[in-house]
Amino acid sequence: MRLLKSTLVLLGCIVVPCMISGVQAAEEKKAKTIAELVAMYDSSSCVDCHTEAHEQWQKSLHARSIFGPEDVGRTAATFKTTIENGLKEWPHSGVKKPEDVGVKHLMICAKCHLPQLQEAEDSVAKEIVENIYAFVDDGDEEAAEVLQSLNIGCTVCHNRNAIVHKWKDGYPEKNAVYGNTDGEHEDEAHPVMKKSMIMKESILCGQCHGLGPNFDMENPTQCATLYGAHLYTYIPEGGQATCQECHMEKSGLGHNMQSYRAPEMVKMALDVEVEADAYQWRDGSTMTPLANVIVEIKNKAGHPIPDG
Amino acid sequence: MVLYVTAKTQDGKVFYKNEKIYMPVPQQMGRGDKMGRGPYEKSGILRDTSLPPLKVTKEQFLIPVYKESTKDGKVVRDIIANDFTVDVEISYQPYGKKDDPDNTQKWFAVTKKLSIEKGGK
Repeated sequence: MRLLKSTLVLLGCIVVPCMISGVQAAEEKKAKTIAELVAMYDSSSCVDCHTEAHEQWQKSLHARSIFGPEDVGRTAATFKTTIENGLKEWPHSGVKKPEDVGVKHLMICAKCHLPQLQEAEDSVAKEIVENIYAFVDDGDEEAAEVLQSLNIGCTVCHNRNAIVHKWKDGYPEKNAVYGNTDGEHEDEAHPVMKKSMIMKESILCGQCHGLGPNFDMENPTQCATLYGAHLYTYIPEGGQATCQECHMEKSGLGHNMQSYRAPEMVKMALDVEVEADAYQWRDGSTMTPLANVIVEIKNKAGHPIPDG
Repeated sequence: MVLYVTAKTQDGKVFYKNEKIYMPVPQQMGRGDKMGRGPYEKSGILRDTSLPPLKVTKEQFLIPVYKESTKDGKVVRDIIANDFTVDVEISYQPYGKKDDPDNTQKWFAVTKKLSIEKGGK
């Protein structure tokens, strides 16, 4: 019994520090600067082999997810509005000035616009905020570039977010790239290719293009309702297409996933019929010239139009 | 998403305008009667007029092609034009004005030429 106790104490002495240092190691892995966070999700090694997918992706908003449309930076401006009109005005947010903004504050937007920010320290949030104000207030082009270096790149969908049910399917492995097959993968950083059970399913997209208010947050936001609308309005009507089928395959856009501003998507979205005629209605001796216009709009998309 | 219906005389004078707005109306903080605008303040939906998937939304516009006046105690409806056009447009317009090219994206447009016969009684 004494031997057992001694062994347990000894094990405790060894294991507990190991666990602590493991936690510390995990914390140490958090990015301290934007450059470190960009490096953690660096997709540059993907480009040589997946050139077409990369070129498609570069045209998408995923490539500038916290900046927004090229040259306009509307998303960056909305981040600033969130700080000025939201965080600074809410008495319990802990934010009195932009410098007070930390990761947990930015996550109300970054949950979807930059989910990997969860793996960064507050210093990164502060650097992002500095660049947002520099771009929005002064049109600083360097700041615009920095903001565009943060995005929903290859490894966000093909690694970080490739598994939703982690208790069943396991946690994403850092050295793996998740796609549609298992095998080897010619990349030093990701030498393993694994099949993601959801790569072709709407739920992959639904992680960000979401369900409505994010109740997992201390102060919920509601940017996206799309996946919820897909589930509760399109599926009940007998719809079967997934997000990827329309936005990547049928559209021919591949990784240039687009929505309301792309002619390819507009063509697929609506059927519109217009009928019009003119006549004179008569009440006694009073003639009433009228035109009758009937417009029928069929929404062929997998969600309401518009939706978030 | 906005449906615009505009009737014009042949020389471009607008005598009828109407529009229908299709969109979910987000609720500020999931409470009260005010619409929220920024994602940070939205947590509900007050009303939803968006176009539902796999369904047909039908709209009808009855356009008066006359000016009404009273003559000798009688209502008179004088025709505005015997030949005129009706423009039907559908635009994606997330915010702002229709004529802002950076904001509005025209999805559909058609012009119908219509006539009302002259003479008769």
